[in-house]
Amino acid sequence: MSKRVPKNNAMQKNGMPKNGTNKSVGKRMYEYRYIYLLGIPGIVILILFNYLPMKGLLMAFENYNPHLGIMGSEWVGLKHFQTLFHDAKFYLMLRNTLVISGLSLLTFPAPIILALLMNEVRSLTYKKFVQTAVYLPHFLSWTIIVSLTFFLLSSEQGLVNKIAVELGNEPTSYLFSKVWIYPIIVIQSVWKGIGWGSIVYLAAIAGIDQGLFEAARIDGATKLQQITRITIPCILPTVVVMLILKMGTIISVDFEQVFLMNNALVKSKLEVFEIYIYNNSIATGSTQYSYSTAIGMFKSLVNTSLVILTNWITTRKGFEGVM
Amino acid sequence: MSTVALKNSEKSNKKLGMKAKTLIGQIILDFILLLLAATMILPFIYIMMVSFTDGSVYVSGDFILWPKKWSFDAYKLILNGSGFLNALKSTLFITGIGTPLNVIVNAGLGYMLSKPVPGKSFINKAVMFTMLFGAGMVPAYINISNLGLINSWFACILPAACGAWTIMVMKSFFMSIPDELEEAAKIDGCGPLRIFAIIVLPLSKAVIATFTLFALVSYWNTYFSAVMYITSSTKMPLQVYLQKIVLTSNISDVVDIQLELANTVPQEIMRMAAVIVVVLPVVCIYPFLQKYFAKGVMIGAVKG
Repeated sequence: MSKRVPKNNAMQKNGMPKNGTNKSVGKRMYEYRYIYLLGIPGIVILILFNYLPMKGLLMAFENYNPHLGIMGSEWVGLKHFQTLFHDAKFYLMLRNTLVISGLSLLTFPAPIILALLMNEVRSLTYKKFVQTAVYLPHFLSWTIIVSLTFFLLSSEQGLVNKIAVELGNEPTSYLFSKVWIYPIIVIQSVWKGIGWGSIVYLAAIAGIDQGLFEAARIDGATKLQQITRITIPCILPTVVVMLILKMGTIISVDFEQVFLMNNALVKSKLEVFEIYIYNNSIATGSTQYSYSTAIGMFKSLVNTSLVILTNWITTRKGFEGVM
Repeated sequence: MSTVALKNSEKSNKKLGMKAKTLIGQIILDFILLLLAATMILPFIYIMMVSFTDGSVYVSGDFILWPKKWSFDAYKLILNGSGFLNALKSTLFITGIGTPLNVIVNAGLGYMLSKPVPGKSFINKAVMFTMLFGAGMVPAYINISNLGLINSWFACILPAACGAWTIMVMKSFFMSIPDELEEAAKIDGCGPLRIFAIIVLPLSKAVIATFTLFALVSYWNTYFSAVMYITSSTKMPLQVYLQKIVLTSNISDVVDIQLELANTVPQEIMRMAAVIVVVLPVVCIYPFLQKYFAKGVMIGAVKG
């Protein structure tokens, strides 16, 4: 009996006295047993595939030996992290990641512009058609998109080079060119993401009070003025939130894309963390498990800090209502 | 008098000019969007047309928008090769098991978190944490290997079966369902599982349809997890098969047919036919579910 009293107090503090204030936690858990049953598969999967691997992070502080296992391997402390910060390769990977993310940050306005344009389309059928078309690439795999790029740009089978040859020019091997690889990657990403990215802005635009536009029209404002003076200021909070969220992913690149576009000639431009990790541990079965884990852990930690930071900024600035 | 008339005519001219201007603007706008939409659609039409072209009339330099002579040879070769059948089997297994599992698991956990169950806030935090921090590729690989899932399709299915973002969106959707409906069912003697199945799920059609589409597409597009975890080449899914066909020069090996047969159809046509085969299901399903996902994504964007 004495055990039950504090629990009840805690329960009331949590503001959940709904289903009988006098029931113990155990009783309430029993009451919800079927609801727990629904949640258990998800919890088990999260534990098995999201939390269990975290044990593997210990490898970053060991000289991992697959035969000895994670618990039996030699403990080396921060050695791998020290190596990491003196590794020229590490700085190359960091640079490549930041360059690719930075370039994709430059294309940030593209979905906003698309949303503004789509919003001005008069015919609903036409708008539906455009939307159907521009959302499609989001659902295509990178294998498909890289294949399309291949058909467009490959030196023998690519459409662009066929036209170039027809016009009497030499074919250019875009896919193996250090100059072209970044533009290609950025264009691929824009092509894939522009439509999908515009949805959130279209929603924001749809939420603007139509009376504002009405008033502006009566005052003789042109369409352009309406866009610059009403639409853009009204969706600015959404834009800011999306920009901040995007900044939070600056240490990550779309790995499958980079992995598929990679080849021996552009390797120095596309070597990012995951590619290095994959090539030096899983792909080759080499003994660099520990070092690769350390690199991955560094990336994860930076990523997490950025996400927390950006979340903190958005909440602090009072934009939480937007998302 | 005359100045007024002049002013009036000027005004109407200006109005006419404005109208013409907006009309021209509208046309330019429609045209820009048409160009953009064309970049998304034309590649597939082009590839489809090439893939249906007969090898005998195909000249490598030509740009084809309508085949001079139709042929299904490339498709016949691909669909009959055991390479494709194996890959299709893998993908169908991954998608067929994975999609319902993903939706049930996420909806179940989302529903649980929408109820005031004891321990809810802790589980909520634990779910959110997976969004913030991941162990990374090598620990995930070691984990899969410890669980004995290497070279099993479940290594591609299970890690992707539960996602924090999906759970949170579903949770907030379930919370928006009025309590009265469930209370009424409870009074009528409905158990919690039946309430979930016959009241909550049917009311959440848009959300469920959206996430079914997402799960379906992401399992159909399984690529890198297969590269990592699947070791035998006969168990590789379609995306890996496609990547091999387009990026290797030796198509007959991948398709698994005799070299002489493969040589009857130009390489390019084979490759493009393979792209069409792999992309077709996604393109076919997608327009039907579009009306749902626009709604579902809004919910996610507003409340997630």
